Amino acid sequence: MDYNERMEKILEKVQKAPRYTGGEMNTTIKRWEECPLHFGFCFPDTYEVGMSHLGMKILYGLINREPWSLCERFFMPWTDMIELMKAEELPLLSMESRRPLSDFDVIGFTLQYEMSYSNILAMMDLGGVPLENKDRGENDPIVVAGGPCAFNPEPLADFIDAFMIGDGEDVMTELNRVILERKEKGLTRAECLRNLAALEGVYVPSLYDVEYDDSGVITAFRPNCGEAPAVIRKRVVTDLNQTYYPEEIPVPYTEVVFDRIMLEIMRGCTRGCRFCQAGMLYRPVRERSMEKLIDLAEKLYRSTGYEEISLSSLSSGDYSCLPELIRELMRRLKDQRVSISLPSLRIDSVLKESLEETQQVKKTSLTFAPEAGTQRMRDVINKGVTEEDLLEKVRDAFEGGWSSVKLYFMDGLPTETTEDLDGIADLARKVVEEYFRVPKEKRAKGLRVTVSASTFVPKPFTPFQWDAQNTIPEIIGKQDHLKKVLNIKGVHFNWHEPYLSFLEACFARGDRRIGAVLKRAYEKGCILDGWTETFRFDTWMEAFRECGLDPAFYANRVRDPEEILPWDHIDSGITKAFLLREKKKSEQALTTKDCRQGCNGCGLQRWKGVCGYANAGSV
Amino acid sequence: MRMLGVFEKGERIRHIGHLDIQRSFQRGLRRSGLPVAYSNGFNPHILITFASALSTGACGRREILDVTMASGVSEAEFLERMNRAMPPELQLSAARAVDDRHPSLMGMLCAASYEIVLRDPDCAEKLIPAIPAMMAKESVTATRKTKTAVKECDIRPLIYVLEGSGQSIFATLALTEREACKPGMLMEALSREAGLDREIRTLVIRKELLGKDEEGKLVPLEQL
Repeated sequence: MDYNERMEKILEKVQKAPRYTGGEMNTTIKRWEECPLHFGFCFPDTYEVGMSHLGMKILYGLINREPWSLCERFFMPWTDMIELMKAEELPLLSMESRRPLSDFDVIGFTLQYEMSYSNILAMMDLGGVPLENKDRGENDPIVVAGGPCAFNPEPLADFIDAFMIGDGEDVMTELNRVILERKEKGLTRAECLRNLAALEGVYVPSLYDVEYDDSGVITAFRPNCGEAPAVIRKRVVTDLNQTYYPEEIPVPYTEVVFDRIMLEIMRGCTRGCRFCQAGMLYRPVRERSMEKLIDLAEKLYRSTGYEEISLSSLSSGDYSCLPELIRELMRRLKDQRVSISLPSLRIDSVLKESLEETQQVKKTSLTFAPEAGTQRMRDVINKGVTEEDLLEKVRDAFEGGWSSVKLYFMDGLPTETTEDLDGIADLARKVVEEYFRVPKEKRAKGLRVTVSASTFVPKPFTPFQWDAQNTIPEIIGKQDHLKKVLNIKGVHFNWHEPYLSFLEACFARGDRRIGAVLKRAYEKGCILDGWTETFRFDTWMEAFRECGLDPAFYANRVRDPEEILPWDHIDSGITKAFLLREKKKSEQALTTKDCRQGCNGCGLQRWKGVCGYANAGSV
Repeated sequence: MRMLGVFEKGERIRHIGHLDIQRSFQRGLRRSGLPVAYSNGFNPHILITFASALSTGACGRREILDVTMASGVSEAEFLERMNRAMPPELQLSAARAVDDRHPSLMGMLCAASYEIVLRDPDCAEKLIPAIPAMMAKESVTATRKTKTAVKECDIRPLIYVLEGSGQSIFATLALTEREACKPGMLMEALSREAGLDREIRTLVIRKELLGKDEEGKLVPLEQL
């Protein structure tokens, strides 16, 4: 029986078969024999999560656009599917032509969050690809990875052949050309990897050696061959209007997490929130022009028929002509009944006018992210938002007919005290008061204030990269306190258990040695860790013990500023000197201004013409 | 004006449920740029109905959708633009413009013809010979599962045609808003008749939706 028939047999038994069927609108099935380079794009989570991801759609279109390369998608199967596949001895197959992962020349994983790492191992294992790069032979695919977590590639150094650091559109085609060259010229795997290492923004971990002291701190990190640069500089797309953006995106049959057109209006953020890794990694801020966005929106509507467009970026409220953009999009797409949504609305954006326009089509709940409960704490994290700002925007929203508001906070931030936690409850209470201040006949019924608190995870390339995460008992104590003080009428409190955040902290700042824990945990059955029903914390802790590593070394240890950090060989554009200055300021609760008000000298000013707000003379 | 479209639900997407198929056609209609009518009200939606929901897991050769148009469009243009806007697994083979007063397809539906492909080896040689005996009976019991209960019913009067050849069973079965014999019910009864006490792997293909003409003869629904 061929793969197709065996797959059909399994699909009769599996739950949620539409995840695995493929054949969606705007997917591309190119002829295998006519394309010399075969790229398997792997999203290490379920179909519903992966199909919500914009980056995959960009690279899928980009690779398929080239006549010489084809791209097919792979997703992480759910546990029931894995069992059926093993029983039928069916390998992980692509969504398009149902070919096994091992048939592809190059397979690429997108690293969106650390808790998908075990899925990477599972997908390679199911796909017949040796897990560790040292075990791969001449006929095995080259395994690459990119995305935000690639900025600390070390926990995956044993498993990934080459990492792409920075904007994927910029490096993808070059990387594919090098791999195609290997195929055409019959180069060895080792030669190909050295050629990849010579590309700017590509990191090949096997070409570097690491030394540690007895405590596990790195004492030396250096390349072991001439092609490998000592420092790998991230790739940056300088002009979003010139770079590739898909005009057709796959439209799933079944509902996925974000089932809509995602229009990336800009990349990067000038705010400089100190906890926010994305805000640091995606610098500098780059906008797409209004003309380009309107053109893309119309084309994407015509190719997908979607009912909703979301304007996506780290801080959409900062887009320089947002009200005009929204007004124009609405004018052009109103007859088609397309609604516009703003997913990451910042509370200090001038948006009252735009808010009134979005509700014209659809009224959803409004989300605000004050992140911390007191002004002192917000100053520590450089979240430039005041209580007055928040309450004013909330008032506008309630007067505009909204009755549902979500507030996002973090617990476990550096220097946090009980007073800061109480501040979260105070803020929630004031939001409730604002609602009741609006005359009854003017406000919408059914007030619902949802307060969500997530546990802070210190991340590389942020000013908190040296800080300790709170221990699990500390976090549980804080959450218990929040539960008590947030028992307010009209307020609903959401929190997550701290175990996953603890593990996330271990891998976010992990070194090469932690790869052994990942492998061991996978062998012991850990997969789909991001899902509560499959997350097995105790098994993870056993894996740490069996590998002789202490998770607290990674999560709860304060690092010395002199220490060689596992990601020091990656140049994200931001310098360590800037991060240290920011760290010192945060300790004194001093804020740093938005880059738009003047250059803060984060490091990007070193690269000519990259950042529009850079001033080379700044310190 | 309403447009009836005859479409195929391909084998690859047979596990996609009816609601998802409905949404796919709504998006397809939006992509097509055809002048479709929307409902009034707070959440306007395209006025589209289907002659019959096809079960998850089954494919359909001549399924029928019914769209209300906001302005006139030719059958050829409807067909051409829809086929450009729909994926390969959901292509249309015919379109027919009807008046707004044309009766609802759901109300006219009487029966459907099926091919049930037997996917387990050695099944056909046991099942097909059992057909005459079953058809000779006055009543044939099968279980019908609803959301809340499992009921026994007599499906014999609901079987209009039943024959077998090769690895397939061919059946024409009643399908109305009041009563229906689903292929699964038929297969349950037939395998009991044949003395097979296990579940049989099948591929259900709904070939045609049927209504009754003036003489009471079963004819393709889209032609009525």
